Order: sequence, then structure tokens, then C-alpha cells
Amino acid sequence: MSDKAELVKREETTPERSRRIPAVAPVVDIYENTDEILLYADMPGVAKDAISINVDNGKLTISGVRTVTATGAANWAEFGDVEYTRVFSVPQAIDVDKVNAELRDGVLKLHLPKSEAAKPRQIEIKAA
Amino acid sequence: MWTRVSDFDRMFTAMDQLRSRMNRLFWDFDRSYGNDYGWVVAEGAPRTNLYDVGNHFEIRAEVPGMTREDLNIRIQGNYLEISGTRKADAPEGYQAHRVERGAGSFTRSFTLPAEVDTEKAEASLKDGILTLSLPKSEAAKPKQITIN
Repeated sequence: MSDKAELVKREETTPERSRRIPAVAPVVDIYENTDEILLYADMPGVAKDAISINVDNGKLTISGVRTVTATGAANWAEFGDVEYTRVFSVPQAIDVDKVNAELRDGVLKLHLPKSEAAKPRQIEIKAA
Repeated sequence: MWTRVSDFDRMFTAMDQLRSRMNRLFWDFDRSYGNDYGWVVAEGAPRTNLYDVGNHFEIRAEVPGMTREDLNIRIQGNYLEISGTRKADAPEGYQAHRVERGAGSFTRSFTLPAEVDTEKAEASLKDGILTLSLPKSEAAKPKQITIN
């Protein structure tokens, strides 16, 4: 009996952390011009407050949690709670302080401006 | 004797943990191929949920990047059709590195479990989720029966 009690206790002391919300990578488009890199990510149903964007040590992490609150009985459900998350490598040339994001109709649009030093420069040849 | 059983038990616990960690490993691996969760027109149509809320049906559909003007909803009796177009939003003068998000048009039709009152149907769009509220027709509504 005492052994059984111990068994139960041990299960409690070594809890197994399990993620309940499935995590998926959102589909993205990445564009670049001379001034910035532009990233679009589809995150339908994610509210503005539920999105976090982190730039750390050359890694850009975007993450957004969507919770679908079911009303009534579901006849069918093809989508549900999900955590959209994806990590990108950011080139050194990005000015991290000026990164800005907008969210519209479930699409996250992220502007990653290039730092002045990284922009292409036209060099004029002076007549000697 | 008891200590020995507890040793076995400890071993099984460790094995269980290893197993669940292995399971998670594959799960994490699958995650990188999360494209099936993206919105791709080629796959057909947006994913939808249908809820039966007593007096009305609620339909939700994932339509990221679409505005009111891009969507068309038609209802007749218990037949519902959602169609829409997603425009390519590629900016001008940019070079594309990666294009995963699809563009194009779709049509999806449903047969609802019961007839709906088309006059009172409502639709709203928020954060790329289309929500339709479709009140059931009088005949299809749940009725309370009193016992005499």
C-alpha cells in the first residue's frame, strides 16, 4: 500500500509538460528591395495582442496564438486552436530598432529596414 | 522485495518519459512541414467550422488577407455557397525571395443540416476569420414541448 502511495507521489513530482496547442509554421512571403526586407505571414484569427515578434541574436521569431471559442455543438470543425510560430535568420544589415509590424485581415506584415551602411550606394567618379 | 518493485517502477517511469520524448521529437519534426496549415488556394477552399447553436448555425472560415469586397456569400434554403478571390499582394519594385502564400479564387458550397432564414443571415469579418450567423427557419428550430 505504501508503495502505491509512493508511486502516485512520484508521478506528481516529475510532471510531464505537454503542449496542448499544436504549433505550426505560418506560410510566408518574403520580399526585398534596396531599403528593406518585407515579410508577409498568414495568421488568420490571431488578434493583435496575441502576436509576439522577437529579434534576438540574428534570429527573428514570430509567434501568434489563435484560440477558437466553439459556440454550441460542432457539426464539423476543420480548424481550431493553433500557435503559429516560425523562426528566421536575419542578416546583420537589418536595423533592429526600426523593425515595425502591421496586422490586417489576419495577415502580418513585417517591415525590416536595412541599416544605412548596408544600403547600396552609387559612387560617382570625379574627373581628375 | 518492495524496494525491488519500486526499482522496476522507476525504470518504467523513465522509459515512459523517454517514449513521450521520442513521440514529441517526431511531432516537432512534422512541425517544420506546417504548410498544410497555410492558406493555399490550390488546395481548394478555406477551412471552415460549422456550429449548431440551437436557434442558428454559425459558420466560420479562414480567409486571411481578404476584405469584404473579395467575398461573396449566397444562401438558398439549406444551400450555402462561399466564394472569394485573394489578390496577390506582392509589393511593387521588390524582389521575391519566398512566395508560399497562394492567391486566386475559390468557391465552396455546403448543404446545411437544416433550412435557414435567409433574411436574417448575418456575416462579419475579423482578423481574417469570416463568421456567418444563419438563423434556422421556424420549422427547423428546436421546440420545447410541455407535458400536459
